[in-house]
Amino acid sequence: MINVLYLDDEAHNLTAFRAAFRRDFQVHVTTEPTEAVRILREQPIEVIISDQKMPKLSGVEFFELIMPDYPNPVRMLLTGHADIDAVIDAINKGQIYKYISKPWNESELKALVQEASDLFHHRQGMASEGAKLMQRMNEARLHSTRIQRLTEGQVELNAEKTEDIARLAREITQLLDSN
Amino acid sequence: MGCSIRIRGLRTAWIGVFLAMISTVGAQEFIGTRVESLDQSLTPALMGVEAVALSENWSAHTDRVPNLGLSDDVQWIRVILDSKTENGMLLEIQNAGIDELTGYMICDGKVTASFERGVIASSHVESTMGTYPTFPIPLTECDELTVLFRLKSSKPLLLPMRIAGPREIIGDSHQRDVLFAAYFGVILVMLLYNLFLFFSVGDRSYLEYSLFILMIGGTQLVLNGYTSYLQIQSLPWLNHRITHFFGVFSGLTTIVFVQNFLRLSRYVPWLHKLLNFYFVIYLIAFVLAIFGQLIWSYNVINFCAAAIFFCIPGSIITMRKGYAPAKYFLLAFTIFIIAVLVFVLKDSGIIPYNAWTFFALPLGSAIEMVVLSLALASRINQLKKESAIAREEQMRSLQLNERLVREQNNVLEDRVKSRTADLEEMNSTMRATLEELQSAQQQLVQSEKLASIGQLTAGIAHELNNPINFVSSSAQSLRRDFEDLNEVVDAVKTLDPAMEDIGSKVEALKSKLAKLDIDFTQREIDELLKGIEDGTMRTSEIVRGLRIFSRMDGDNFIQAQVNELIESTLIVLRSNLKDVATVRYTLADNLPLVTCQPGRLNQVFMNIITNAAQSMEGLEREFEDNEVYIQTALTESIGQSWIEVRIKDSGVGMPEGVKSQIFDPFFTTKPVGEGTGLGLSIVMGILRDHNAEVEVESEEGLGSEFIIRFPL
Repeated sequence: MINVLYLDDEAHNLTAFRAAFRRDFQVHVTTEPTEAVRILREQPIEVIISDQKMPKLSGVEFFELIMPDYPNPVRMLLTGHADIDAVIDAINKGQIYKYISKPWNESELKALVQEASDLFHHRQGMASEGAKLMQRMNEARLHSTRIQRLTEGQVELNAEKTEDIARLAREITQLLDSN
Repeated sequence: MGCSIRIRGLRTAWIGVFLAMISTVGAQEFIGTRVESLDQSLTPALMGVEAVALSENWSAHTDRVPNLGLSDDVQWIRVILDSKTENGMLLEIQNAGIDELTGYMICDGKVTASFERGVIASSHVESTMGTYPTFPIPLTECDELTVLFRLKSSKPLLLPMRIAGPREIIGDSHQRDVLFAAYFGVILVMLLYNLFLFFSVGDRSYLEYSLFILMIGGTQLVLNGYTSYLQIQSLPWLNHRITHFFGVFSGLTTIVFVQNFLRLSRYVPWLHKLLNFYFVIYLIAFVLAIFGQLIWSYNVINFCAAAIFFCIPGSIITMRKGYAPAKYFLLAFTIFIIAVLVFVLKDSGIIPYNAWTFFALPLGSAIEMVVLSLALASRINQLKKESAIAREEQMRSLQLNERLVREQNNVLEDRVKSRTADLEEMNSTMRATLEELQSAQQQLVQSEKLASIGQLTAGIAHELNNPINFVSSSAQSLRRDFEDLNEVVDAVKTLDPAMEDIGSKVEALKSKLAKLDIDFTQREIDELLKGIEDGTMRTSEIVRGLRIFSRMDGDNFIQAQVNELIESTLIVLRSNLKDVATVRYTLADNLPLVTCQPGRLNQVFMNIITNAAQSMEGLEREFEDNEVYIQTALTESIGQSWIEVRIKDSGVGMPEGVKSQIFDPFFTTKPVGEGTGLGLSIVMGILRDHNAEVEVESEEGLGSEFIIRFPL
């Protein structure tokens, strides 16, 4: 199940959200930003939804706050249309993936969470694939160093042999000359 | 001696007048040829009367009327009388102006009687017969009867003498009195008449003429021995000089009268100046008389008398210049001068002596007065005519002026019109500009209103979004929860205690219940229902607040509850304020309704509360420090009840410079484009319409407080 965190100062919204999506997602809700941070720390949250207009802290501000520690969860902003400037700003800065306007449409929201989760996992997948590639590359690099080292030994051997041959050739020449 | 001056002959007209006056009507024969005078140079100054009589230096006169001239020396004359025929008769000297005159009757070398008859002697009037001094010739028998006279006078010593009986002398005197009475009657009538004219017409020339008449008449009075009627015997100083004074004043008044009557300053300026000169000379004569220089004074008066002759050429010139009254004047003076000539000629024996010739002078003088009176009337007519002409001239110039003024007025009117038109044009331009400005202002006010409405709409939309969101969402969730419940219920419905596998079915149901987490579902249903209830309640509350807030019939004054207005404003603003500050309020529950425009008051509260919130936006501090505190109360001050609304924030506050300008239109502390600067100016306008008082308290860094008081 997808782990979704929903932050809103309006408790009724939280209730409604959980009631709507508890069957589909692992829903975590809270009215307090500090509580939200605690949940982030303890749960493998994939998608974060926050209301924009809250006392103390706006949604965008909350996202800015958690970005350094939790960059991976996909962020979505729940807004009234009055906050459109804040939303545009936030999108342009790459802080949020989507914004949802109130009142939400349940199925759309569900789809969006799904999408966000997919994105999360895709990113995760990309990240792990990248790591695998990196490992392989490292291995290849190690390998090549070893080969190089071997090649270097070969060259040395070859040089000795060449010298021996040359000495032999010289001796042979001397021999031939002396003859 | 040295200072004696003798004037012989008739040098001036005035001397002619004198001559005329000392002639008499009745005395046919003067005894001038019998008179002997003492040669002064041969006679010692101090001698007794009898010694004088015995003097050898007597010389006879040849004239009918001896003239001893003008001298301040004592003169002596004698007449040898016929003691047989002449005793008992009277010797008369027809000169009433001799200052000192003493007659001595000498009978055979002895003085038998002496008589004081001079002007100075007080006995003169009482002891003489008639107006002239007379001396009775004694009846005593003498071989040789001589009368000796001692004379001294400040006037010419003309001595027309005769010997006649008392009856003849008194008769002649009476005749003269009658004639002169008539003459003075004429003078008096003329005087009064002209004075009357002066007072009724107000023309100065009448007064001058009156004075002229007075002086001429007075001169005649004095010269003909009627001085006593002036009652100045008790004033010897004046009595002594009266002839001089009359001479001076008749000259002065004549000059003034002639000058003004003939308008010499206009027609004959040179004569005018000449007469002025004479005027001054007369004044000198006056001063000389006052200081006792009577002889000199008399000489000066004589000299000035020549001035009268200038009146003839003066009047001719004036007449020629078209001044009609001058001809009367000429006539009057010609008659007068002829009268004088007649008198002089009579005295010198050229024409016969009779009553007419004797009285020629007073008659001429009287005629002169009458003609001059006519002349004056003519002059007045002339003046009237002239003033009529002048008036006409004035009228014409007035009309001309009027025309000029009218033309000028027209020009001015035109100018005023054009200026008025300019001004009107300017006015209309200004009016148009004003209208543009007003409409611009209205637009600004409107845009301010729209801006706040926009802000409001956004806030309300947001405010409504939350309950709508969770109500609609909860409804869907409830459906699913109920589906779960229904599933259980359906399953329960199928259960029948009679069923054999009831036990396993119940087990299955139980596991299903567990699987569906029905306990949780039930709790959830509860919560969701609570949310829906809460949501609908909040929605209706918002809608109600909005309705109160947006009573845009608010331009009408109605009764409203201020608390309600504030609450509705807060509902509308809640979402806008939510993330900025905590709003707290204490609303008094005893507030009466207030007559107001609710819609516009909401605008006031919204504006001030929004400003309060904005003053705390973006401050680096705990959210809990941002607070808007609203308080309403019923207060009393200055004998009046007020509803007081205090809106306080803990924002940045304002410096004094900002505070003093916040109500000015277009004043804003916000960046360009973010505020119109009209908000508080509109607030002020609205509050002024409500007669409300506004007080602002602010301290930088601590916040501001708006205190509004509505009068009840």
